[in-house]
Amino acid sequence: MGPLWLSMELAVTVAALLLLIGLPVAYWLAFSKWRGKFLLEAVVALPLVLPPTVLGFYALLAMGPHGPLGKVWRAAFGHGLAFTFAGLVLASMFYSFPFAVQPLMSSFEAVDRRLLNASAVLGASPWRTFRSVILPLSISGIITAIVLCFAHTLGEFGVVLMVGGNLPGVTRTASIAIYDRVQSLEYGEANRMALVLLIISFSVLSVVYALNRHARRSLWTPWATK
Amino acid sequence: MGHEVAAPLLVRVRKARESANRQPFVLDVSLEIPAGITILLGPSGAGKSTLLDCIAGLVRPDSGRVSVGQELWFDSSQRIGVPVHQRRVGYVFQSLTLFPHLNVEENIGYGIAHLPPRERKARIDEILSAFRVAALRQRKPAEISGGEAQRVELARSLVTDPQVLLLDEPMTGLDEQLKAHIIEDLRAWRTARNIPILYVTHSKMEAQALGDHLVMMRSGSIVPEQKIAHQRTQLEQ
Repeated sequence: MGPLWLSMELAVTVAALLLLIGLPVAYWLAFSKWRGKFLLEAVVALPLVLPPTVLGFYALLAMGPHGPLGKVWRAAFGHGLAFTFAGLVLASMFYSFPFAVQPLMSSFEAVDRRLLNASAVLGASPWRTFRSVILPLSISGIITAIVLCFAHTLGEFGVVLMVGGNLPGVTRTASIAIYDRVQSLEYGEANRMALVLLIISFSVLSVVYALNRHARRSLWTPWATK
Repeated sequence: MGHEVAAPLLVRVRKARESANRQPFVLDVSLEIPAGITILLGPSGAGKSTLLDCIAGLVRPDSGRVSVGQELWFDSSQRIGVPVHQRRVGYVFQSLTLFPHLNVEENIGYGIAHLPPRERKARIDEILSAFRVAALRQRKPAEISGGEAQRVELARSLVTDPQVLLLDEPMTGLDEQLKAHIIEDLRAWRTARNIPILYVTHSKMEAQALGDHLVMMRSGSIVPEQKIAHQRTQLEQ
């Protein structure tokens, strides 16, 4: 598999898994009244400030033959986790976690609490309120979370290099391949791949901004904002 | 759909909290609300909305008991607190709360999603025409006026066939003509369904037109009956 396709596969997998995990975490962070939740908020935001190599280093230790994740993985599947595509997915999920949780949490928090009260007095359980009111009104946050996770994973370098190494067809993603090309002075090939990444990233961000603009317009209720 | 037995709403609640200007405030209320419309009067900050929230279950009282007939919704001594969505309360809030992503028909049908589709549609059709908003059924809240939204909001609460109806200044900001129409709608509805209705208002016109009973609150407490006799005379004049 070529580096670009591998990057795409990684980005799609990570975005899909992070949406599934990010929704309940963001819901809890948005609505929990637990005093200590700032600790979890700090943990979620940690990858934003940590150098990717630091995150990658600890992920590598955790996934190694003596690390907790590596041991569990070996017991379940009979082989190690480091330097595999699955390991890459897991490390990328840690790395992109804030890009899923923060847009979701912000859009959940922005839903008018009076609508949630209205839903409850109309007989809707918290789960139905989540499905029927919170999710549809958070559509722009959901789109943003998916796209940011996708784009962030597509362009990651440090974590991939630390956890995945540079195995062709297994862990050599586009960003690693570009670095390789530059090291071997193949600027033409590096430029071709870099341009493809640039175009994909620009297109994805343009689509997300356009969709968000549309979502905001279609929900505009002048009297409800009073 | 009608209620043959008019179960009164019994409320005895105490709730301490900080008021908007960070002053300590205590709601300490004990009252029986019979079937019919009870007007709840009182200055801003008297605790009227907090009382309604305690009844609906949106605010948990520090202590007390809330029941409708045989049904116990809250009892601090028995640690009972029925969740909001299981209380079958109709609540029209001070501000409009129509769901912006649903059209009028979907908004009205939201609280009766558990009914079979045919019955659900019949109920929606009935209430849409009773409140004269049938022409708006496919419109989103952003596409209707404030007055129309107010009527849809009222219809959405009533269609659920609640055991108790709470109305928190439901006609604020509406013109007199529209108020008269809605009062007419509410009167018709009250006649058809004999349930306790608690109606918060500052308007003497609304109190006169709708009130079967009158309760007055000040600083978190109910004003004794003899003290409001004078107020009632003033309203009737």
